[in-house]
Amino acid sequence: MTVINYGDSWQLATVLVGGIATLAIFSFLIKENPVYRIFEHLFIGIAAGFGIVFSIQRFLWPNIMVPLLGLDIDVYPDGTLSHSYNYWLLLYILPMVFGLLFYFLYSKRFGWLAKVVIGFQLGASGGLAFKGFFNEMIPQLEKSFKPLVVFSNGEVNYWQSFEHILFVFTLLSVMYYFFFSFKRESRLAQGFAGSGRWLMMICFGAFFGSTVMARMALLVERLQFLIDDWSPALKYLFGA
Amino acid sequence: MNLANLDRRIVYLLVFLALSIPLVQRYSVRPARMESAEKLYRIVQELDSEKKGVAFVALDFGPNTKAENQAQAEVVIEHLMRKRVPVVLFSLYALAEPFLKLVPERVASRLMKEHPGEKWVYGQDWVNLGYRPGASLLIQSIPKSDDLDELFKKDVRGNDLKDLPATRHFKSLKDIVFLAEFTGLVGVFQNYVQFFRSKDYVPKFGHGCTSITIPEAYIYMDSGQLNGLLEGIAGAAWYSELLMRDNPEREIDSSALINTGLGVAHLILIALIVFGNVMGFLERKKS
Repeated sequence: MTVINYGDSWQLATVLVGGIATLAIFSFLIKENPVYRIFEHLFIGIAAGFGIVFSIQRFLWPNIMVPLLGLDIDVYPDGTLSHSYNYWLLLYILPMVFGLLFYFLYSKRFGWLAKVVIGFQLGASGGLAFKGFFNEMIPQLEKSFKPLVVFSNGEVNYWQSFEHILFVFTLLSVMYYFFFSFKRESRLAQGFAGSGRWLMMICFGAFFGSTVMARMALLVERLQFLIDDWSPALKYLFGA
Repeated sequence: MNLANLDRRIVYLLVFLALSIPLVQRYSVRPARMESAEKLYRIVQELDSEKKGVAFVALDFGPNTKAENQAQAEVVIEHLMRKRVPVVLFSLYALAEPFLKLVPERVASRLMKEHPGEKWVYGQDWVNLGYRPGASLLIQSIPKSDDLDELFKKDVRGNDLKDLPATRHFKSLKDIVFLAEFTGLVGVFQNYVQFFRSKDYVPKFGHGCTSITIPEAYIYMDSGQLNGLLEGIAGAAWYSELLMRDNPEREIDSSALINTGLGVAHLILIALIVFGNVMGFLERKKS
């Protein structure tokens, strides 16, 4: 719940517009309508614009353009400078120009220049993904080797042992289900692959259940906003 | 009326009522115990405020997942502030910018209301680095840097990080004693798992995920890449409950209320699924 300062007309207007936008989007639940469409496009436009403005305002301008143009150099009354211009900063221009080649995508004649940038991007992303994959997956692979019988305080921990057996069985059966290099002829092989399929179904069910939960959480937050913020703001506006 | 062909708008109405009645009536039940949230709580509880170091908190969420991520971020930041561990906030997501300002300010004002004699101030208890573009490239540059003050240079207010008490000694990855990341975005959390580490040091890592990504996040808990996890609003509600236990004077927050509404809505959905299947079965039998 936001504590609204009703004296601040800007904040009041924000809450009121927020409530109208929420209801406009919810109107889709009754049926598709033009009001919903307008607000949907408004949201997409605002989100895209917001990202671009923030990148320029918070990064490109203060970190790149200001030092590059020497705007961070103060001139004191006696004519001396706060610091001298660093000519190495001119090197920033090279990646900027290289990045701008991307826009040749719209040119038939110079379209190949954009491909150079795209190729560079693909190569760099591939390299990063490769490095990241090992950092992410190796610990998971290591942890998938679990003892099937777990001892705690010198005694068998049956519950944890069962968990580990189930884990290993699921891992192997699901992997086996996706192993298409040879035909599964024996009933045992078919059953093993089939159980992998069933276990995946259970997993998808869990995914679906948590998706529903997340959607409900989004709804409840909006309801909370309408009940706690928007309706008091409306009452204030109409003097109730 | 044929119940098997129930109008979907009636289902919406039922869900709407289930969710809004606890909110209007301010009715909440005790949240269920969440083991992963408890692990996260213990990690924060064990942080030593006397030791040099900051907690690095990434709020990588926007309005689309604020329902879950904001409540999670609030309870963890509150816990860190109670422990007087300096919090450095930042984001890889442009739409998170308002939350970087709003969340710590709300927490600080709540704490100052609860403890009238004490102060939680910007620059000392928290610093906002704002939205930083660069995604995985930026995350990779953090462990490589031996002067993080120089890497990030200024906060959103234009202060030099070297001048702020919280970030005066913000030099290398080893100065980050705890990392918390809250997101509902696909692929963002993995940037931290993959690159927020050096050869000899990985900070304790807590994560707040939306309900959709809970099954995926468990993999990282199991592998030890995550040390604690808040599972959707339920995780936040249990973390809030733990804060209430240790701080009886604390005012109840909205996470328990939302959690109750969600529980009721789930029961209605389960009932409708069972009902729909039974009706479908009976219909087929008849025909």
